[in-house]
Amino acid sequence: MADIEQLAASVDSLKDSFEAHRYICSNQIATAVYLAFHLRKPVLIEGPPGVGKTELAKTTAEMFALPLIRLQCYEGLDEAKAIYEWKYGKQLLYTQVLKETLDEVLQGAQGFAESVTRLHEFGDIFFSEEFLEPRPLLKALREEDGCVLLLDEVDKSDHEFESLLLEILSDFQVSIPEIGTVKAHREPPIVFLTSNNTREISDALKRRCLHLYIPFPDADLEQRIIHARVPDIPPELRRQLVAFIQDLRDLDLKKVPAISETIDWARTLLLLHTESLDPELVRDTLNVILKFQEDIENVDAEIATLTNKAVRADGIGPKVRP
Amino acid sequence: MDRTLTHFIAALRNAEVRISPAETLDAMNAVELVGYRDRAFLKDSLALVLPKTADEKETFDTTFDQFFSFEDVAGQSVAVEGDGDGEDGEGGGEGQGEDLGGGKGSGAKGKKSKFGAIEEEEEEDLGPGAMADPRSALGRLLMQEGTTELTVRMAEAAKEADLTEIQVFTQKGLYTRKVMDAMGLADLVAEIGELRASPHIPERRLAQELKRRRDWLRELVRDYVERQFLLHADATGRRLREDLLQKVKLSNVEHRNFRLIQEIVLRMAKKLAALHSRRRKVFKRGQLHVSRTLRHNMSYDGSIFDLHWKSVKVDRPKVFAICDVSGSVAAYARFMLMFLYSLEEVMPKVRSFAFSSDLAEVTELFERNKIEDAIAKTLRDYSGGSTDYGQAFQDFRKLCMDEVDNRTTIIILGDARNNYGDPRTDIVKEMYDRSKRVIWLNPESRNTWNVGDAEMRKYSAYVHQAQECNSLMHLNRIVGNLLRSVA
Repeated sequence: MADIEQLAASVDSLKDSFEAHRYICSNQIATAVYLAFHLRKPVLIEGPPGVGKTELAKTTAEMFALPLIRLQCYEGLDEAKAIYEWKYGKQLLYTQVLKETLDEVLQGAQGFAESVTRLHEFGDIFFSEEFLEPRPLLKALREEDGCVLLLDEVDKSDHEFESLLLEILSDFQVSIPEIGTVKAHREPPIVFLTSNNTREISDALKRRCLHLYIPFPDADLEQRIIHARVPDIPPELRRQLVAFIQDLRDLDLKKVPAISETIDWARTLLLLHTESLDPELVRDTLNVILKFQEDIENVDAEIATLTNKAVRADGIGPKVRP
Repeated sequence: MDRTLTHFIAALRNAEVRISPAETLDAMNAVELVGYRDRAFLKDSLALVLPKTADEKETFDTTFDQFFSFEDVAGQSVAVEGDGDGEDGEGGGEGQGEDLGGGKGSGAKGKKSKFGAIEEEEEEDLGPGAMADPRSALGRLLMQEGTTELTVRMAEAAKEADLTEIQVFTQKGLYTRKVMDAMGLADLVAEIGELRASPHIPERRLAQELKRRRDWLRELVRDYVERQFLLHADATGRRLREDLLQKVKLSNVEHRNFRLIQEIVLRMAKKLAALHSRRRKVFKRGQLHVSRTLRHNMSYDGSIFDLHWKSVKVDRPKVFAICDVSGSVAAYARFMLMFLYSLEEVMPKVRSFAFSSDLAEVTELFERNKIEDAIAKTLRDYSGGSTDYGQAFQDFRKLCMDEVDNRTTIIILGDARNNYGDPRTDIVKEMYDRSKRVIWLNPESRNTWNVGDAEMRKYSAYVHQAQECNSLMHLNRIVGNLLRSVA
């Protein structure tokens, strides 16, 4: 625990340590983790796909050396799959076994009232921890030394599920009618929720979270990200491909290339032993960064211009590096 | 400190960032943790706690910069004086070089020495040297290096002076005075007077410095009042204007208000969609779904463990909107299209059509273009001909009558003025029979519905609902009802 405290002592130390784990982040992101840790609040991360929302949670877990518990949300997800469920099969089996020993149990019982009292004792056993199947959310609360809980793509789940989350997000507890309230252990989990904004998250949920919006990175940050993820790529090529992608994002595309695509492309180019971008090569590898045929066709005409611009822009403007 | 924060939150609310009391508490906790020292850090932190959408973040950015901008103002005014000084002494180029070399860290030191230089110029006889310590509270604040506390004091004083009540710009002078008074101007003036009369040089030196800084403070307060006026009074005015715009007839809206209307429309559409767009299950309470329950409990040896209840799935409404963009409704067409566009943006299953004589689908056009472009293009491409409802309905039947089913709602926006042509009510009847609902929104007032070439009487036999709709309020109410009944 002491390590974590030390890591989270300041935004700068967090940033450095993220960098050591090959996650290059902006001040805003580091501040979010800092506040999440100190204020004990969940973080709702929004942003276009592929900017590292899920990655942030993973890296945080890795950095703090905490277990990561992940719940992938989808339509139809309910509490039986997210919080807890009773082990029906086991309950059934035990009932069958008990059926045979029922006589023994009830032997010597004085009248109906006493029999019922004895039976009641069984009832309580059936709905106890023994028969409880914990799902991700309950598991996260029960982790002794805290953990990182990732609720991925929360926008895919139903409204009802969102409401279900409110209790755990604001108080780090869940209420199970048969058992009572389960509270988080000493260290409540650090919670991340991600959303791709396919629908509006309800105000009630947003109110309980810190809200972090991760946009596409600027050229400088993206270069550093590529440097961290694909360290072998020559600096000049790195600059060119980032410049190219940055320009590409300004075009009117169906699906704009994200950081993950930039990284894939960098790896591809490295594999092909590329030294510098040229239009022919870009055309051949375009399907790595663009995922719609329509987009590829649209960009096709612009390739030469964009490539030249990226190759020529020799450290002009915002791409200046000291 | 907390007051400054609540104040800031009030300003944010004015700028239409929704902030709940719970979030205010969060912000206070965050500020307690982060402190007011590091401006960028504070901004990053508050940006995580307060605004909760991308739009709100933008608003937050500007509001924060406006609200907490004293430090910059202070830095600038000092820097400007300092620069002038440097140029007088040793020429611009060198001065700049020095600044660059000094970098950020020595900024404070540089400031100090520049103050010294000014002093020397103005009053040679005193010379550089020790200054006495100021006694009044405001004096002490003024002589401090950082401006943070001064800023906070100013915000508190503004609160005492009820600066948020400011309504019109002529009150700026009055409020500047009030804020200065609340900060303890009287004490400071008295102190300066005393110090001036003092025989000791350090005290006289202090008097000069205090006087200079007092003038600088006055500037600062005036700027602050100005900004507060913009933050608070402007928003009040805006709200008033929005209320008015909701009620005014759409054909009377002035051109300069189009932007605002657009925002209102989009917000309205968003709200409506948020209320109604979810797909729901309505449970029929207490009705056991016998067959499903039995099926699911087979694996438990037929013991009924897991009960299933009857439910009905309510689908998201499927909407077809047909909009007349001909000359007779030109004044409304813009707004109708605007609303269509916004609706399409927030609801997944809207298909839009526009016509004056020939009808065409504009769904994709709306999807691909920004709102202004989309509307302009639609008006350009389709608003040419004379109105022919008969032709338009015929086109509609050809285009997509097959896709109209019993979950579809059809909205027709138009004045039903058909130039005495064939109204083709038979097609409208077909729509009526096939769809769940047909709704006709007419921008004209009800008593002109059947005057001249208007065919509203014939059409209204085959629509579920015919409504007058010529202001945003109408639109809001009607569409709200529509979505509720569909869902």
